Amino acid sequence: MKALINRTGLTGRIAALAIVTIILMAATALAHHSFTAEFDQNKPIKLSGKVTEMKWSNPHAWIYLDVTTNGKTVNWACETGGANSLIRRGWRKEDLKFGTVLNVEGWQARNGSPTANVRSITFTDGKRLFAGSSNTAVEEK
Amino acid sequence: MKKRNVVIVGFMIAATSLVSFLMPVAAQQRGRGGAGAAPTPIRRAADGKPDLTGFYGADSGGANYGLEKHPADFLTPGTQGVVVDPPDGKLPYQPWARAERINRELPERGYDDPTAHCFVAGVPRSMYTPSPYQILQPPGYIVLLFERMSWRHVPLDGRAHLPDTVRLWQGDSVGHWEGDTLVVDTTNLNGKTWLNEVGDVMSYDAHIVERFTPKDGDNVTYQATVTDKIAYTAPWTIQMNLRRQQDEILEVACHEDNGDLQHLKDVRDEARTKKSGAPKP
Repeated sequence: MKALINRTGLTGRIAALAIVTIILMAATALAHHSFTAEFDQNKPIKLSGKVTEMKWSNPHAWIYLDVTTNGKTVNWACETGGANSLIRRGWRKEDLKFGTVLNVEGWQARNGSPTANVRSITFTDGKRLFAGSSNTAVEEK
Repeated sequence: MKKRNVVIVGFMIAATSLVSFLMPVAAQQRGRGGAGAAPTPIRRAADGKPDLTGFYGADSGGANYGLEKHPADFLTPGTQGVVVDPPDGKLPYQPWARAERINRELPERGYDDPTAHCFVAGVPRSMYTPSPYQILQPPGYIVLLFERMSWRHVPLDGRAHLPDTVRLWQGDSVGHWEGDTLVVDTTNLNGKTWLNEVGDVMSYDAHIVERFTPKDGDNVTYQATVTDKIAYTAPWTIQMNLRRQQDEILEVACHEDNGDLQHLKDVRDEARTKKSGAPKP
């Protein structure tokens, strides 16, 4: 870290800040072996759908969405961080009632099933909440 | 990381890190004073000892993803490294334990992490899992409460440890004050815990001495020295700051609706099937 700052001056300091910020943020994310085992970091997806169910559980919570494409509806299972980390990120039961329309950003399961690990959700009014994703390679911004 | 990529990421992060500092999600990282506030004096109990009562989060540098320093890869986040002794920051592993540690990073070993089964994190892992915890200081005891419905109970009456035949997940802890430092001595571990998610190793033989030294009213310097002849060639010490914070503890009922465990088992079973060439169970 010191070498980085000494050698490259301002850019080194910014890089050092970046590294520290990433590490601090990673320290609050709920990471698990399960992300890379189950999900593919190289399969990012965006979904839009209506909430059918929410399981407020730990170590991960799950939100289920009906996603309709070309007239066909598929129910997606979307994994988030644990219920306690969602609460701390502003998720609330009353905002996620059955039928609520959400845009979901995340990564698909390796096996191609309608399963995703969520990075963030965005409501129709533009409000965005991060999901404490197990994908610890990505910061919440 | 390539220097150019570091700079690009650096600019992106720097631009937003100031903004994100104001967002609620960053509140966990800040002590009561917030950025740039003057440190408050060490709080004192009626007997003059430091008062550690409160909610804390560890500035753990990613210790739950590795005690040694390592850069991020697709499996784990980067870690700052919290090993202060030996001075080179490397854990003095016995060769068998280093090999086991490396093996535990494989996705198919995720199933073997005791916390994946909702077992307790043990000592010292409970101190740096990324969740807040509460320290209580009733007369004669220090009590720590963790979100995954576990605790540590530290009597301060200088009693002897439990008999050697009694083995516990959180170990048997006895504490005393040395000036302003709370010293906690822990033995009688059962060897069933991992030190973190990447599987840093600790055997049942571990003897842990922790030191909690308040730096100011909102920060406690935490050190843990582990002596474990079965897994290591020498004692080693980790150090990090414990930061007083606003977040209280919430219930984490890991044992209910734990969907992860089946996935981790599937990954393990698939790896075993590939290895043996046998049909799937």
